[in-house]
Amino acid sequence: MEILAQYWLFILPLFVIQLALALTALVHVLRHPHYRFGTKGLWIIIVLLLNTIGPIVYFVFGRGEEE
Amino acid sequence: MSGYYAFLKKELLESIRTYKLLILIAVFFIFGMLSPLTAKLMPDLLSSFLPEGITLTVAEPTALDAWMQFFKNTSQMGLILTVILFSGILGTELTRGTLINMLTKGLSRHAVILSKLTAMILLWTVSYMTAFVVTWGYTAYLFPNDVPPHLELSVFCLWLFGTFLMTLFLFAATLVKSSYGALILTGAVSALLAMVNIAPLAQKYNPLILALNNTALLTNAIQPSEMYSALTVASICFPLLIAGAAVTFKKRLL
Repeated sequence: MEILAQYWLFILPLFVIQLALALTALVHVLRHPHYRFGTKGLWIIIVLLLNTIGPIVYFVFGRGEEE
Repeated sequence: MSGYYAFLKKELLESIRTYKLLILIAVFFIFGMLSPLTAKLMPDLLSSFLPEGITLTVAEPTALDAWMQFFKNTSQMGLILTVILFSGILGTELTRGTLINMLTKGLSRHAVILSKLTAMILLWTVSYMTAFVVTWGYTAYLFPNDVPPHLELSVFCLWLFGTFLMTLFLFAATLVKSSYGALILTGAVSALLAMVNIAPLAQKYNPLILALNNTALLTNAIQPSEMYSALTVASICFPLLIAGAAVTFKKRLL
């Protein structure tokens, strides 16, 4: 708790950004069920469990073409 | 000109809708924040990994360490990520054939190249500035009243190198068919520049040192005047690369 009190100025923005990225990616995964590779379940796990890197990998490599 | 503005607007809108802008800002914000934090926590981290009984004396971290982290992060992961995000900037529209309609309706090919380049440089500048401002703020918070020398020049050098790299990438994208080809070509040129850097004579003029010597500038290991030749070379290469991209794209069969 001591560290949290000392570094909340860092932890809070980091948490907000990672959450925002994960949620944006999650919404996209759910609404666009076409991927370059992988399945919906796989992408949900990647996006939610891999901090920051998961959503980036999804948007750069996994996102399918728009119809 | 109207074609240029319209296409630039389309490029920027596309970078928002494909989440490029979001990712860039988020990642560069994280880089900007983690740089001073890593510098601050590094001694604690090191000592916590050491076995009991061994004491390691680490110098108290300063703002210099924070900026070292900043240049390490942005010049490596930052630039790589930016180029990868932009990797499809020309190739995607060409393979899909969506560009042909607009070109046959009178959009000039130069306008396409120029607006794509503007969009890339604009996004790179915005994300790089985000990282810079965030690092600046947190460094001032963690290490008050401590600004290393030649910081402005050092930051400018890396920005210019980023701009140079974006232009190089766009030129590469006009030369080869696939997006991956353009990435490989850009990587090959960067590797070539790194090899040139071994030769002491050429080192001075190598644009790559704009992204390598940032920390050396801050520690006064090298003087600002030693960067001028490389800055000039990068500034001369910039219009040449644009011209190259414009000419190649003009002649290219779609």
